Amino acid sequence: MLAAPLKETPIAQAKQPPSTGRQLRRVNRRGRRGAAKGLAVTYLSLLVLIPLAALVTNAFNHGLGSFWRAVTQTESIDALRLTLVCAFIASAINAVAGLATAWVLVRDRFVGQGILNAIIDLPFALPTVVAGVIFYTLYGPLSPFHVNITGTWIGITVAIMFVTLPFTVRSVQPVLESLTFNAESAASTLGASPVRVFRTITLPALMPALLTGTGLAFARAIGEYGSVVFISNNLPYRSEVASSYIYSLATSGQTNSAASVAVALLVIALVLLIVFNVTAQRLARNRA
Amino acid sequence: MRRSPVGLRIAVLCYIGVLIGVPLIFVFQQAFIHGFGAFWTALRDQQMDHAIFLTALVALVAVPLNVLFGVGASLWIVRHPSRFTRVLDTIIDVPLAISPIIVGLVLELVYAQGGWFGSLLAKLGWQVMFSFPGIVMASIFVSLPLVSRQVIPLLRELGDHQEQTASTLGASPLRIFFTITLRSITWATAYGVSLTLARVIGEYGAVLIVSGNIALVTQTLTLDIGANFDNFNSYQGFVGAVLLAMASIVLLLILGVARHRERKRNEYLA
Repeated sequence: MLAAPLKETPIAQAKQPPSTGRQLRRVNRRGRRGAAKGLAVTYLSLLVLIPLAALVTNAFNHGLGSFWRAVTQTESIDALRLTLVCAFIASAINAVAGLATAWVLVRDRFVGQGILNAIIDLPFALPTVVAGVIFYTLYGPLSPFHVNITGTWIGITVAIMFVTLPFTVRSVQPVLESLTFNAESAASTLGASPVRVFRTITLPALMPALLTGTGLAFARAIGEYGSVVFISNNLPYRSEVASSYIYSLATSGQTNSAASVAVALLVIALVLLIVFNVTAQRLARNRA
Repeated sequence: MRRSPVGLRIAVLCYIGVLIGVPLIFVFQQAFIHGFGAFWTALRDQQMDHAIFLTALVALVAVPLNVLFGVGASLWIVRHPSRFTRVLDTIIDVPLAISPIIVGLVLELVYAQGGWFGSLLAKLGWQVMFSFPGIVMASIFVSLPLVSRQVIPLLRELGDHQEQTASTLGASPLRIFFTITLRSITWATAYGVSLTLARVIGEYGAVLIVSGNIALVTQTLTLDIGANFDNFNSYQGFVGAVLLAMASIVLLLILGVARHRERKRNEYLA
């Protein structure tokens, strides 16, 4: 990837040597731009591409069999299943709650709406570990409400619900804002009930955005660590999420197994993201 | 304007209240549960002060680097499109879909002892993992796309006829960049910077792996909070947590201003 700036070097491409000052300046500018591009590619390679390549290599360097064995260990299967189930429940709840929240923010007017709108973004800004310790204390053994959900799938799901709430709200909200009332008014003039208007007109228009947001939330939920690790108690086979399992493998020297499970988790996240996005795009195209 | 049913409004307020409002109030209540004096003493905890210092230092290095990269890459992708930039456009977003734990793991696989570059780095005498550079790299990785995701759509929408006009009128490229391009993306960049800063300050999983979590050496503020909780020192943990909560509220306010300015500018252009 270091060859990129060299290829961009204008001297190699110039048909004749630059003579005037103006040409020289242009050549210099193209050279600088090439250097900047090379720097950007190097930055991306050193930080993201090479490490990801190392991950895949480490996952498969003892063959496909050892990759498969690492992923299908009972502890790994349990962790992956728990992660997916909790992520699914949390995203499903947030798809409904996010839609309702976006609706109230756009179609309703009440005192304190600005605060509600601002507070929605808090899970994006609040460090996950802070959310983690708060939920552990609120719903743990010392809970002021006497609710102890540590070490259960419910606790994990609640933490994930907090972290992924803004995704659906923020993807549905702008679409709802840009929606005109024409079709809705026509339908209700023709005698359609509010529920029917919502189901047949408003919801289909919001569906692509809702799916995209839910897909993002799901992808985030699958890899969540900081907010979940305290409330989950990390009991193997019972309340250990995938990222937590990868962490314990990595810190106990089982690097290849850690890389294998990580690759499996990444593939699951990417496949889900693609499925959600393709479905959203198809829905949007069908409407157009 | 069709009004939504009152029941829906109440349901939403309850949901957000329980899920976000209660935790937010709770963290403040816990941090000040022993009064301001105790809070002040806890603030001067040596371990936590070092952690705050380290977090600030990491942000000071990681955020400018990512802003530079984010703005540069956005300009490249939008203004000089090629088959290569289309790939770049996709790759940039990849870090968002990766679990922080996996981020830490992949960096370790390359830069730790026994990793791909491990022996080379050892020969050079550079300690990357379990020290400052590793923490910076992890922070950069997790926040990589946050600036470009704000700037790319804006640049696409704006087009480049203003720049072309200026160029026809004889403005130098540097002048065009500073007076037109940079000015039109200021608020989008500010938005991206706040998101980046929030992410860098708050990163836990990735930093946990690459830093080694050594108190007074490589422990950032988030790690310090986690360590205090693991050591049943939850009050000290909540003091750190409330600092981060306050930082994120300030960042949210900045985000609100940036979004408001951005919208106003769009209305002006439209």
